[in-house]
Amino acid sequence: MIVKIENVSKIYDEVPIVTNVSLEIGKGERVVILGPSGCGKTTLLRMIAGFVVPDKGGIFIDDLIVTKDGKNYVEPEDRKIGMVFQDLALWPHMNVYENLAFGLKAKKILKNERNERIEKILEKVQMTEYKNTFPGSLSGGQQQRIALARALVMQPKILLMDEPLSSLDLDLNLLLRKEILRLQEDIGITLIYVTHDRDEAFSLATRIVVMKRGRIMKTGGDKTGTSEEISGHL
Amino acid sequence: MAKKFTLWTSICLLILIGLAPVVSMFIQSLSVDGALSLKNYEMLFQSRREWLLLSNSLELAGATTLLTALFGVPLGILFEKTDLPFRRLFAILFVIPLMIPPYILATAWFYCLGRDGYAAGILGNPIGNYTSPFLFSLGGTLLVMVSALLPVFIILTMTYLRMINPRLEEAAKLSAKWSFVLRKISIPVISPGIFLAAIFVFILTIGEFGVPSSLHFDVFPVESFIQFSAFYNFNAATAAAIPLGLLTLMLLIIERLFLRKKTFQLRLTREPMIIVPLGKSMPFFLSAVSIAAFILVITPISILFIKSFSLRAYNEAFIQSTDSIVRSLLYASAGATCLTILGLFLGYLLERKSLRFFFAADSIAIFLFTLPGTVIGIGLISLWNTKVTNIIYASAAIILLGYIAKYTALSERIMAAGFSQIPRSMEEAAQIAGAGWFRRLSVILIPLAKRGLAGAWLVGFIFCLRDLDITMIVYPPAHDTLPVRIFTLMANSPEEVIAALSIIMVAITLLPLGTLALITKYRG
Repeated sequence: MIVKIENVSKIYDEVPIVTNVSLEIGKGERVVILGPSGCGKTTLLRMIAGFVVPDKGGIFIDDLIVTKDGKNYVEPEDRKIGMVFQDLALWPHMNVYENLAFGLKAKKILKNERNERIEKILEKVQMTEYKNTFPGSLSGGQQQRIALARALVMQPKILLMDEPLSSLDLDLNLLLRKEILRLQEDIGITLIYVTHDRDEAFSLATRIVVMKRGRIMKTGGDKTGTSEEISGHL
Repeated sequence: MAKKFTLWTSICLLILIGLAPVVSMFIQSLSVDGALSLKNYEMLFQSRREWLLLSNSLELAGATTLLTALFGVPLGILFEKTDLPFRRLFAILFVIPLMIPPYILATAWFYCLGRDGYAAGILGNPIGNYTSPFLFSLGGTLLVMVSALLPVFIILTMTYLRMINPRLEEAAKLSAKWSFVLRKISIPVISPGIFLAAIFVFILTIGEFGVPSSLHFDVFPVESFIQFSAFYNFNAATAAAIPLGLLTLMLLIIERLFLRKKTFQLRLTREPMIIVPLGKSMPFFLSAVSIAAFILVITPISILFIKSFSLRAYNEAFIQSTDSIVRSLLYASAGATCLTILGLFLGYLLERKSLRFFFAADSIAIFLFTLPGTVIGIGLISLWNTKVTNIIYASAAIILLGYIAKYTALSERIMAAGFSQIPRSMEEAAQIAGAGWFRRLSVILIPLAKRGLAGAWLVGFIFCLRDLDITMIVYPPAHDTLPVRIFTLMANSPEEVIAALSIIMVAITLLPLGTLALITKYRG
């Protein structure tokens, strides 16, 4: 298992947000966590990233304890995780190249290798010609591609995506779903994707995990149940 | 129609009270014996002394800006973004000097570092031979200005950090350590706030009259004041004030251009800020901040306490200044009320962009705020010192006009921030229901903006109360305020009485803040 979540719980202001959640995710899987707003799916994702520390339970990445019983043992920057945020969080004062180079510089990757990796990933997301453009001058779809490229250029083992397509129109949403699938299959990365959109979940997942009121209501092996079954839980 | 009328009236008032005096002063400086002439300016620029003053002013303002940035930005980050123990308490402590007139800090440092000050008393008399020349030089003036204006950087750094989208930092944290994230993401994103602080500190320093005057460091505002009050040379005073006005205008234009280009993803956010754990460095940072607080805040205020520690001193202080204390409180209250009313309309105009000229009104208010107080003071006298308007010139009204001219930008911006939190739809719903402008104002906008109104009044009160630069120039006989009284008594009153008056000044400035803090605490 590449990610193992063991009985994690989180309470904010005496309100339970995540309750006793356990989940195992294998290498190369595309797991979609599906649930309505406020069900705790983003909190669970942020626990895996290391931004939220669970009050109880533990999370293992590659058999290494990264967080357990209210303590982070591995900082986010050392978890080998990439993340695409709901609002993308592209750094507005840096151009596309600088956005991609940031993490590589922090990890002290040499300039030649850095440039090579950036060129390669920009090619993959078909954004090579926008290397010197600032995020504010890109369209919504182009920003999505850069956010994805920024996460992938670090060659993470796991890619977390927090409702990244929720603000896009349907046509662009469908197009980018296909691109995410293509890239994931191409790189073979493990994908954990959070959404409230059933269609998005069905089109992307190899496994769907349904969450409601902080608990996992249903999780299956290969492609979870039927649409009706999932609807029953939502 | 009523709305447009009210907003236009507010703009006209700002122009009449603030801009007209400055324009009038400029026009008068171009006239010699009734004819158009540049003689005043020729005299100004031919004098070697004037160039020395300009160089001193720029040196002081530049060094103060650099040092306050160097200390203020890290302190702002420590107080807002880290788990430093007692960080809220430290933040409050460091902001106190901004609430009191800077020349009071200069007085405190004089009692400490003067030839016969506490430092010489404790460490032996020869030390006074070194500390006293230091205090009465660029170094001493810098020390006082840095402690007085450090809060500008701290407050703006904290405010802008609060507005960063936390996701920007989280995205960086996935691949970098906090030191790298702060250096490459957080600080560049808040750079407009840091730049704004730098402009403010530079302008406030270059316009400062009280501290350089107390420490005998020659700068332009002091020259302006001397030409005006000692030599009664109005034109020379005006000519000496104009370079400051032009410099202010230039900096303001640069600031506007820079900030317009560099406004990143900053917004008021309800999301909790990411706190940086200091870990093993905690003791180092705690010690460094404690030492800085001790030197810059606790030392000067404690010295005033120790110096004034006798009933006789306070008794004497009250005998000499009760009338000034009462006047200070009255004028500051009246000034704050006028500022709040004008700020209400101009803030609404700025936030809702209700008239095409909203930007011009805001620019005028900001220009006046950044203009040295001595310039505004001289301008007010040049406009209102006529037979027809003597009723204003010879009464407390001239002081109030000075407060309004100088500090409207503060109340305007606070109210604009308050209105930005009220959805337009609330006012629109009342409009559709048939409520006219004044009804919408009284039933919807004012009740919803009451926190902003309270904030605008309080900030207005504090700034009017601590004002020395304008009041010193415009106050009519028997209308002096406490800061002016302390300043004039300094030369020939016992030190303990001056210290007691300074403590009274600090107390009446902090009193409303303390009251507000208590009300906020008990109301949750």
